[in-house]
Amino acid sequence: MNKPFLMAGAAGLVLLATSSAQAQSVDYGSLQQLFGEPVTTSATGTPQRSTEAPADMQIITADEIRRSGETTIPGILQRAAGIDVLNESAGQTDVNVRGYDQGSSPRLLVLVNGRQVYQDHYGETVWSTIPVQLEEIRQIEVVKGPNAALFGFNAVSGVINIITYNPKYDDTNIATLRGGLNGQREGSLVTTFKLGPAVSARLSVGGQAQDEWKPVGTVLPASAFESPNSLKSNLDVVAQLAPKTELRVEGSWSNVQENQLVGSTYDNVKTVTTSEKATLTSDTSIGQVQGSAYSNQMNVRYPFADWYNVIDVASLQDQFKIGADNTFRIGGEFRQNTLNTSPIGGAHVSYDVLSGSGMWNWAINPQLTTTAAVRIDDLMLSRSGVFAPGVPLADNSDWNRDIVQPSVNLTVAWRPTAHDTFRLSYARGVQAPSLIEFGGLQLPITPFPHFTIDLMGNPYLKPSILSNYEAAYDHDFVVAKVGLRVFYQDWSEIKSSITGLGGLTTNPTATTNGAISYQNASNSNETGVELTASGKIPGGFNWHADTTYTDVKDSLFTGVNAVIDQVAFQETTPKFRGNVGADWEQGPWETDANLHYIGDYQFYNLVTGDLGPVKAYTNLDARVGYKFKGGFTVALSGQNLLSERQKQTTGLEAERMAQITVSKSW
Amino acid sequence: MAGHADTAKDLAVAGRALTFLENGPTGQAVLGVVFDPGKPGSVAEKNAVMAALGGGYPAGAVTLTGKPVEASEVGSVSGVAALYVTHGVNYGAVGAAAKAKHLVTVGSDPACVASGACVMGVSTDPKVDITVNRAAAAAVGVAFKAAFRMMIHEI
Repeated sequence: MNKPFLMAGAAGLVLLATSSAQAQSVDYGSLQQLFGEPVTTSATGTPQRSTEAPADMQIITADEIRRSGETTIPGILQRAAGIDVLNESAGQTDVNVRGYDQGSSPRLLVLVNGRQVYQDHYGETVWSTIPVQLEEIRQIEVVKGPNAALFGFNAVSGVINIITYNPKYDDTNIATLRGGLNGQREGSLVTTFKLGPAVSARLSVGGQAQDEWKPVGTVLPASAFESPNSLKSNLDVVAQLAPKTELRVEGSWSNVQENQLVGSTYDNVKTVTTSEKATLTSDTSIGQVQGSAYSNQMNVRYPFADWYNVIDVASLQDQFKIGADNTFRIGGEFRQNTLNTSPIGGAHVSYDVLSGSGMWNWAINPQLTTTAAVRIDDLMLSRSGVFAPGVPLADNSDWNRDIVQPSVNLTVAWRPTAHDTFRLSYARGVQAPSLIEFGGLQLPITPFPHFTIDLMGNPYLKPSILSNYEAAYDHDFVVAKVGLRVFYQDWSEIKSSITGLGGLTTNPTATTNGAISYQNASNSNETGVELTASGKIPGGFNWHADTTYTDVKDSLFTGVNAVIDQVAFQETTPKFRGNVGADWEQGPWETDANLHYIGDYQFYNLVTGDLGPVKAYTNLDARVGYKFKGGFTVALSGQNLLSERQKQTTGLEAERMAQITVSKSW
Repeated sequence: MAGHADTAKDLAVAGRALTFLENGPTGQAVLGVVFDPGKPGSVAEKNAVMAALGGGYPAGAVTLTGKPVEASEVGSVSGVAALYVTHGVNYGAVGAAAKAKHLVTVGSDPACVASGACVMGVSTDPKVDITVNRAAAAAVGVAFKAAFRMMIHEI
């Protein structure tokens, strides 16, 4: 079938045998130039044009990232429609899609080139530990709604997949220096080079520091806060092993210190992460086969606990077409996740997950496409080691549990004309309890002499399940695009937090202590509407606007207090959020501005734990840049420009930031 | 009849798409532009394509130059990496001759790719659309890379 392509020899005809002629990994750049739009694999695992991906996906490109002047990934994400950000300190932000945001937000799966960078101890994402420089990002893919059928547990509210440049195709070299208000200082270097005729590599290193926001109006004095800072490095190597086989090896390291909102107070948290990953891709007669293995190690120190988490993942997938109209992907994955107990040590909580998944994309006719994806995950929990004295659950066999859950994504897309797309979708996502919730936390407290209460995990927690229904319509007016989304989310078995403000979840007995533990606390549902629009005006001018409305209704289980258990999502989810922005490029000048609006909401007060109001606010982020000859760019940018300090959460007030950036690329 | 601007866009897509062939052209390559001298529309399209190619048109990893080829002479053409087929030529005859020479054919008339005379059809209005005729590709002995095939229409 694959006969060599014959070329008649002739003068002036030169055939260069370059490695790119036998490419297997997705050459995002060339495909984007070909189709005139970004390309993604985050919807189904197979490559698709962004406008044809059967998921509610928004792709933020490298150009948009650079023009925005944002200096962090959450800063970039808040410009996408429907994204909620809680900027809790200068270093820490919690992000979620379409409501249900909280401290240590566990509902969003965050990946770098498909490797999870979300952290399994609390099930949260600490954005500053992501070992990627903004300058090496090709695009950020934001999937709204569950995509657990592709990515597995915890891809419930959404998925953020950060795609970096590929050293085989993209020669990225840039050095950046940045300084600004509040002691902001940053430097980074990204460089791409060849290690041999068929091996390309990209190395990045960067560090940043700034002053913490001044704690006016909070209980803690300024001396309780240390300056947030981070240092990180990443190496990405791609080797063409054979004409149809490619190996990609990635390694990373990050060291971060920042003040985080943990429970109801700020702690200075230090985190070190390392990772190693290898991916082998080969075009075979049974399709494109990809095998991948990675390991993430994280060491995190809180004032009250010290955790070391290792997660090992191995996966294998095959993508192939049958006939002209059917694309399939089948895959299997094994994952092992381990955490020590802390602060009372001497034990480990771990789980193994075995998964199988399949996807079928059927182009029924040129206007109608259906996509169906299913994944089954079998989580096997276990515990080894000793217990703190007097804990109510003191038998490792209490941890021998099996959780088996399916995840589903079903979409029908109809394109009656070249300008209209209708999409209907249903998805079921599963949010598994984190290792801390399962028992990684073993913290005895002594509120009165001789009276000990154990703050501990709960091996009997049920996973939280999300059913998501969405109808979408997009229209392309050529000079502008508009989109409408209507969605309904149904959450079950939402897990509580531990605040220590309520009663015991387990009463003491003659021989065991009372305990406060995580519980399944409530169900909840959300109805929402999202409107997006964007367009171009001749003269180098682009504009965009979006607004997302969400209405959340919680139904609490018997005996649950929504505030004490921190499951008051109908109060803590703002009803409105939106963006209006524009950018203009002419010759060497680029300017960009984005106005971000969040409506009234309530959040847990740091001291009392009660709900307190956060008034609606608007913030303005902007950048002006000038490109000199020789690859130099100088830019002036700023965030939260409208006020010197702004109450965006019930914690530290966000401060105005402004910075000058000088970069040189070659 | 497509205007000059559309032809240039069609050519850009066709040229880049050729780089997604397995063992496809890279570096310098000559694109034969097949036309029927008796059909003014075909001649006009050929002229527009030759003008767009100019002294060397960069399309991704390949730089294309053009060579006009009368439809009746496809069977004896040499020195070309692929053929761009204009509207109005005798698709049956051109397709058969190109297959015999194992030359990839591409054009912007949907009728060409539907009939199998064109291995690949491109359209850029209102957005980029690429169709590949699998039987024609197999007959010529070419295949496109896996990632590309998953993003286009195949018939």
